[in-house]
Amino acid sequence: MLDADFMHEVANTPRGRGILKCIQCGRCTSSCPVARVVEEHNPRKLMEIIILGLRSDVLPKTLPWHCLSCFTCLDRCPQGGDVGEAMFAIRNLAVREGNIPAGILAQARSLFETGRVVTPTRTALIQRKKYGLGKEPAFDVEAVQKILRKTSFDKLIYKGS
Amino acid sequence: MKYAFFLGCLIPAREPSYENSIRKIAPELGVELVEMEGANCCAPFSIQSVDYASWLALAARNLCLAEGLGLDILTLCNDCYESLLMTNAILKDDAELRNKVNEILADVGLEFKGKINVKSFIDVLYEDVGLEKVKNSVKEPFNGLKVAVQPGCHLTKPKRIHFGERMGITALDELVEATGAKSIAYERKEACCGGPLRGVNDEVASQVAKHKLDSIKGSGADCIVTVCPFCYIELDMGQLEIKRHLKEEYNLPVLHFAELLRMAMGMILTDLEIRSHKISLNRVLKDRLQEE
Repeated sequence: MLDADFMHEVANTPRGRGILKCIQCGRCTSSCPVARVVEEHNPRKLMEIIILGLRSDVLPKTLPWHCLSCFTCLDRCPQGGDVGEAMFAIRNLAVREGNIPAGILAQARSLFETGRVVTPTRTALIQRKKYGLGKEPAFDVEAVQKILRKTSFDKLIYKGS
Repeated sequence: MKYAFFLGCLIPAREPSYENSIRKIAPELGVELVEMEGANCCAPFSIQSVDYASWLALAARNLCLAEGLGLDILTLCNDCYESLLMTNAILKDDAELRNKVNEILADVGLEFKGKINVKSFIDVLYEDVGLEKVKNSVKEPFNGLKVAVQPGCHLTKPKRIHFGERMGITALDELVEATGAKSIAYERKEACCGGPLRGVNDEVASQVAKHKLDSIKGSGADCIVTVCPFCYIELDMGQLEIKRHLKEEYNLPVLHFAELLRMAMGMILTDLEIRSHKISLNRVLKDRLQEE
């Protein structure tokens, strides 16, 4: 189904503005390290699908989640079109549709529950002790939760569970 | 030279040997690290993929803590560096966004004022400590050890926030060569290690890393030197994954730049630190024994 407003929806989402400058030259795809190994991942084509308004071919799919955010395309886009930035807008929209990979969701929940995306392994704790590194600086979970409740981040990562 | 030390979550949780080397070499170079008690995760790309305002507010909270200390931030991880550097640039530039973020931060009693800078460890060594001082700290130089430098994407990309004020790859090359090692040229040096997809799509992460490792192997490097903890894991542990799933073996030792410099300063790595590397460091350490 076509959604003629989809391109503007992306453009009006934070970091999505660059899509309005896309001229479909394909320099992003030719410089993308993932496009070399994942046939489905083609940043130029993704921009095209969005410009055409094929919302349901993007947001519920795996397409937004192959990008490494390496920003190579950002530096190479002749239009200053910021494809790598627009990927964040697309993913933010995908998350609002309930499309979030398990690995990202786990990091997001860890952040909300512990103040950090990665928590120490037992091995790391033993190593720290042996190196004499002392206690890790504390993470302020309470402040993190206050902020993330205010931005409704918690609703994005706990809905449906 | 005094900095608010933003350690992040990955390094203390997975790579204490990196942290240890930094804490060993910093005082030798006159760099004082002030702990950031009560900091939070930088809000890396995974979190930015979920929500924009949450990213800016969480990153800004860390910037506010450093402002409270009256110190620039020194950070070790490329992901932390990029998140904090970008947020600092965005909020300094955009008054409307700054007001929005400050509304969120008011709940935790903070206000972003835009008074500090964010620096990577490489920025600090190159710009503040200076190459001469780093060179002078080297007591036991590596004799032409061939190093494939892995700068990592977010030390230098995107150019619009890194170039001009920062030298990026060239700075790292010069710092590596200050240890007596040789930074060799190889294709795809600026390419991503694949690390950001580790844990999200392991197969793709391995394939991207493999392209990089193929090129490094072909260049005749003795080892890889990284600054980013994600690159380190992806290229060190990643070699085991690639051996298992893609049936390719490289045996390329991977060192944190801090470890290379620490050894060049004449300090030795402990057995535990050496064993924390998945790929044996023998090729690097053998040179050390010959010199002694």
